[in-house]
Amino acid sequence: MEARQENVEIPEALQVVFAKLEEEFGDTFLGSSFFRGELTFTVSVDDYVAVATFCKESPDLAFERLDCLLGNHYPKRADAPFEVVLHLTSVSRNTRLRLKIPLAEGQKIPTISGVWASADWDEREAWEMFGIEFQGHPNLIRLLTTEDFVGFPLRKDFPVRGTVGGRIRTDLKGKI
Amino acid sequence: MSGHGLEQHDAPATPHRPTRDELIERKALTRQRVAANNETITVSMGPQHPSMHGVYQAVVDLDGEVIVATRPGIGNLHRGVEKLAENLTYHQFIPLTDRLDYVSSFAMNHGYCEAVEKLMGVEVPARARYIRTIAHELARLSNHILWLGVHIMDFGAQTFFLICFRDREYILDLFEMVCGARLTHSYARIGGVAKDLPDGWVEKCRAAVDFLPKRVAEYERLITVNRIFLKRARNIGIFTAEDCHQWRITGPALRAAGVARDLRKDEPYAAYPEVDFEVAVEYDADVYSRFLVRMKEMYESCRIIQQCLDNLPDGPFLAADAAHVLPLKKNVLRDSAAMVQDFMHVLRGPQVPKGEVYRSIEVPKGEMGVYIVSDGGPKPQRLRLSTPSFYHGQAIPAMFEGEMLSDSVGIFGSVDIVLGDCDR
Repeated sequence: MEARQENVEIPEALQVVFAKLEEEFGDTFLGSSFFRGELTFTVSVDDYVAVATFCKESPDLAFERLDCLLGNHYPKRADAPFEVVLHLTSVSRNTRLRLKIPLAEGQKIPTISGVWASADWDEREAWEMFGIEFQGHPNLIRLLTTEDFVGFPLRKDFPVRGTVGGRIRTDLKGKI
Repeated sequence: MSGHGLEQHDAPATPHRPTRDELIERKALTRQRVAANNETITVSMGPQHPSMHGVYQAVVDLDGEVIVATRPGIGNLHRGVEKLAENLTYHQFIPLTDRLDYVSSFAMNHGYCEAVEKLMGVEVPARARYIRTIAHELARLSNHILWLGVHIMDFGAQTFFLICFRDREYILDLFEMVCGARLTHSYARIGGVAKDLPDGWVEKCRAAVDFLPKRVAEYERLITVNRIFLKRARNIGIFTAEDCHQWRITGPALRAAGVARDLRKDEPYAAYPEVDFEVAVEYDADVYSRFLVRMKEMYESCRIIQQCLDNLPDGPFLAADAAHVLPLKKNVLRDSAAMVQDFMHVLRGPQVPKGEVYRSIEVPKGEMGVYIVSDGGPKPQRLRLSTPSFYHGQAIPAMFEGEMLSDSVGIFGSVDIVLGDCDR
C-alpha cells in the first residue's frame, strides 16, 4: 500500500496509538499511512484478531467501540482484490484508528463479533454485498437483500441496473 | 394505596448517581429470568405493525409475557444507496442523503458534505458554517419533537402526538422558506449551502426559537412528572455504557448512560466551537433517562440557534473554490468562468484527491459516519454510510431480552430508529 504522508504533525493522542501498536506488532504490519488526520494500519489476516483484541483490551489504546466494519472491492489488484476495513473509536481518549485487511479472492477472515458485538450485522452486510466469508460468524445469512438474491451487489462487476432479485417468494409460506 | 391521587408530583429527584456496578445490578433485577426449556410462543411484531416505527420486524419468542429472544428483520427499505453513490458524482449524491433519515434530512446532508469537504480539503465560509449549524439544530428539534410525539403515543397517549405535530410545523415552515422543501431539503452543498437565507427568515426563526422552549416546557409539564409515564418508563430497557459501546449505541441513548460523548464538542465542526452549549447527560440508562436527555437537548438546540442568529456573520454562503464547488446558478449565464466551472462539474464532476476519509458527526439519532474512498475520479470508489439506526436496530434483541412484551414498544421507541436510515 502506498503511504501518503502529509506535511502535518500527527496529533499527540494518535502518536501514542502509533507508538504502542508499532511496539507491539511492528514487524507484522503490512503498512501504515496518515492522511487528513487519520491513522491507518494494514494488517494481515493472520494477525487481525490479535491486533483488534489488543486495540480493545490495552488500557493505553482503549478502543471500546467499533464504529463500522465494511468490505471493499478493488478488481484491479490482482493479489488482494478484497479488503475489510475497520474503524475503531476510543470514546474515553477521543481517538480513531483504521485497520485494513487485504484479502484474496475467496479468502476467509475470522469473525470479530466476539470482540465487538456490533460487528455482527456489519459482517453480514460485508458478506452479502461482497461475498467475503467470515469464519465463525454465528448467523451468516442475507440481511438487507431477499433470501433468494443471487450475486454480491457491491462488487464492481455487478451491474447497477439488473433483473436479479425483487421477486416475492411464495414457497417460504409458513416456514418463517 | 399510599399518597393522594390528585396531588402534584415533582420529578423524581436523583441526588444519587448510580455507579456502574449499581446499574449492572439494577439491570439484572429489572430483567426477568426465564426458566430454561419453558414452552415459548412466537409472536411477529411488524413489519407493518403500528407499534413498530417503520418497516422493522421483530419476531419475539415469549415465555408468558417475558421476551426470551428476538429475531430482527430489516431490509424492506433497502435501496442500495451505497451502490448508487459509486455511480454518481459527489454533487449528485446529495439528494439521496435526504432519503436516509427523512425525519432530519438536513443532518444527513450536512454529515455527507462534511465528509466530502474533509476529503477535498475545502474551507467552508463562516456564514455557511453558521447557517448549517442553525439548520442542523432545527433538524434536531424537529426530529426530537416528532420522536417525542411518537414515543409518548407508544405509551398510549394519542393526543400528545398531535400537539407535537403542530409544533413541528413551525420548523418545517422555516425549512420550506429557506429551501422550498419541507422534508427532503437537499440544502447543504459541498463548500456551503445552496441558497442564502431569504429576507425575513432570521426574524421568523428567532420568533420560533423564542417560542419553542415554552412549548418544550409545556411538554415537560405534561410528561416529565406524569405518574403513568414515570411508572412505565423508569427502570426498563437499562443499557449501561459498556453495553452501548459493545453495540455501538450512540447519541442520546449513550448520553443517558452517563457518557458525555457529543461530537459537537469532541470533534467540533461547523460553528459549534464558537457557541456555548451544554452536553445533556443522564445517569440511569433507562428509557426515562433517554427521554430526559432529548428534552434537555431541545432547550440546548434553541440556545445554539439563538446564539448563531445573534452572531450570524455576513459574507459568502458558498466557498469560492472552482475545483470543488458548484457555481451559483445566477452567475452561470453571466460569467464565462462560472459557466466553464458549471460545465466541468455537471459533465465531469469535482476534482478530488486520491485518498480516504472517515468523518463522523452528531446527527439527532447518534453518530453518523461517512467513509469515502476516492481513486481520484469524480465519483467515489466506495462510500459507506455508517448510520446510527442500523446499529440501534441491531441492539434491539439485546435490549429486549428479559423485558416484558408491553415494555418492548417503549424500549424500541427510546432508541429512535428510522428505517430509511437503517436499510440505506
